[in-house]
Amino acid sequence: MVEFQYTITDEAGIHARPAGKIVAAVKGFESHVTCWSEDEAYDVKKLLSFMGSELEYGEVVTIRTEGPDEIEAAEAAKKAFEENL
Amino acid sequence: MALDYRKCAEEIYSHLGGKDNIASAAHCATRLRLAIVDINKVDTKALENVEGVKGVFSSNGQLQCIIGTGTVNKVYDEFLAVTGLTAASKDDVKAAAAASQPLPMRMVKSIGDVFVPILPAIVAAGLMMGLVEALGKIPGFGQAFAASDWYGFLDMVSATAFAYLPVLVAVSATRVFGGNIFLGATVGLAMINSALTNGWAAADGYEKWYLLGKGINIGGYYLGQINRLGYQGHVIPVIIAIWLMAKIEKKLHEVTPEVLDLFIVPLCTVLATCLITFMVIGPIFSTAENYVLAGARVLVQSFFGIGAGIMGALYPITVVMGLHHMYTVIEAGFLADPNIGLNIWMPVASSANFAQFGACLAVGLKTKSSRVKSVAIPSALSAALGITEPAIFGVNFRFMKPFIFGMVGGAAGSLFGAWTGLGAVAYGVTGIPGYLTINNLGLYTVMLAIAGGVAFALTTVLYKEDPDLADKKVVEEPAVAPDVVAMSTETGEVLQCTPGTIVAAKDIPDPVFASEAMGPSVGIQPTAGVVYAPFDGEVVMKFPTNHAVGLKSADGIELLIHVGVDTVNMNGEGFTPNCDSGDKIAKGDVLLEFDRGAIANAGYSDTVVVVITNGADYTAVKKAAE
Repeated sequence: MVEFQYTITDEAGIHARPAGKIVAAVKGFESHVTCWSEDEAYDVKKLLSFMGSELEYGEVVTIRTEGPDEIEAAEAAKKAFEENL
Repeated sequence: MALDYRKCAEEIYSHLGGKDNIASAAHCATRLRLAIVDINKVDTKALENVEGVKGVFSSNGQLQCIIGTGTVNKVYDEFLAVTGLTAASKDDVKAAAAASQPLPMRMVKSIGDVFVPILPAIVAAGLMMGLVEALGKIPGFGQAFAASDWYGFLDMVSATAFAYLPVLVAVSATRVFGGNIFLGATVGLAMINSALTNGWAAADGYEKWYLLGKGINIGGYYLGQINRLGYQGHVIPVIIAIWLMAKIEKKLHEVTPEVLDLFIVPLCTVLATCLITFMVIGPIFSTAENYVLAGARVLVQSFFGIGAGIMGALYPITVVMGLHHMYTVIEAGFLADPNIGLNIWMPVASSANFAQFGACLAVGLKTKSSRVKSVAIPSALSAALGITEPAIFGVNFRFMKPFIFGMVGGAAGSLFGAWTGLGAVAYGVTGIPGYLTINNLGLYTVMLAIAGGVAFALTTVLYKEDPDLADKKVVEEPAVAPDVVAMSTETGEVLQCTPGTIVAAKDIPDPVFASEAMGPSVGIQPTAGVVYAPFDGEVVMKFPTNHAVGLKSADGIELLIHVGVDTVNMNGEGFTPNCDSGDKIAKGDVLLEFDRGAIANAGYSDTVVVVITNGADYTAVKKAAE
């Protein structure tokens, strides 16, 4: 299991376009990718689940990857979050 | 025959004066938006004749070619290919256009950006203040009213937004320049702190602080001298202070270690900003005020009325600079002077104010934007009553030309007033309430008509509104749930959720949606602003800003319906939800309604994007448009 923390920098919070890009970036990995916000987990590989997280500007979330390629998945997720959200 | 996009793009490019002349390019729903370095190198006439270009205009350093919905994105793609530019967002183009403007224009724009959001607070207050003050001057009735508790109360409520204007300006300016909004508010509050004498009462004298003793003297000021005088009603010094604060705060955040950030940054930011503001900006404005005061008093009596005319033209500039606070000193001086005995300043102020009313009214009647109209009309009324800040900052100064025409009108009225010997027997009111104190009602009427009329006529004839401001018209057709399959998988169908035309994903005016990165997609160009349930199932997610919903069909299809592009920035305005997360839905249920006019006015495309987000679960997804 790999975890990292991330602070949302998009002023609108999460919305379709950044969410879509992040989902696309992690979709190809075998590992589970979840985003934890206030003790609730959202599946980052599923757009509707991820968009339902209602992440807001400034919020700190924990992203967790679990599976055979969890290190690579975490790296890809980190890059995608930093570039898009 | 369909338009040859490549040819269209090449021809547009050939008339722009070379690649170096294009700062950046973007497009909106109908227009190619180009930030141009030197607009004189662009052959606008030739551009208008390019096939496919329906119109060309430039505003604020930005060149816009109207090309049309569904076409502009294709021309844009070719344009990027032809020029080798990279895609820019609309904001980038706006920023590049703003940066190419000369500094004074950028400053005017900043003042406008700061002032527009606070207009609701001051427009109504201005009207009420004008009325209350006028009622207090009515002969017979006024004195009793002015002494009543109601007068005191109404005066307090209506004057609050003006007296504490620096706080409103500071908060708004912090939002424009960046920085912590509470620190901004603190700086604004410091500038009117009750430890300082009210700026409106400056004429009665005030105390001073000498932070560095009485050492170095510059222009009558000791270095470190702070006049204990509030900035009530000031605008420009506050905007400068907050601009400074934003810079200081940003720099401090960069150099301060994170553990000490909360301890050091706010304290140092506020302290440094206040020190510079009170020690440097304050004395500059205060000195300018004294010069204006002395100059204005002489000028208004000079050159057989010509001086009054000049003053009538300059008056609104002194309002913008916030240098008009002490004019009551001049008025009182004229009244007390045994050789004059008449307030000859009042006709000048009244002409200048009434001319701003005329210009603002002309903008309000002429504008095709309901938003500008809703500000301009009440602001004009308030200006007619002598409170011109809303009209000047909210309308005339923002568009500049009306402000200048207002100056011309003010000059004309003041000239007439001086030549006919108009004057008031008291001070404190201008515009329509001025009738209560003027020495000749008939001539005063003529003077107001000249001042307001000249400004109104000039503005009506010569002011051209930026077509971008105009309300976008949308034709709303009756809303019926379409019975058309938009997409289908081997397990089930997705009906068209909104009345209109289905377009292929690649024609959605957004690169991310167009690339179908989120899954198989189609777009719908809506003819009515309703989203119907495209299948039986449930609502998985309703987005907080109501512009998008996630659905899951009984057959397992996961669907994102996203209304418009970039509409997240509208923060839910114009979107009315009719469902919530977890709701069971049946085919044809209304899920949400959206205001297409509002989306168009916000400058976004209203294309409804429909995406099957679990497309990978299916071997074949059929779409009604490829």
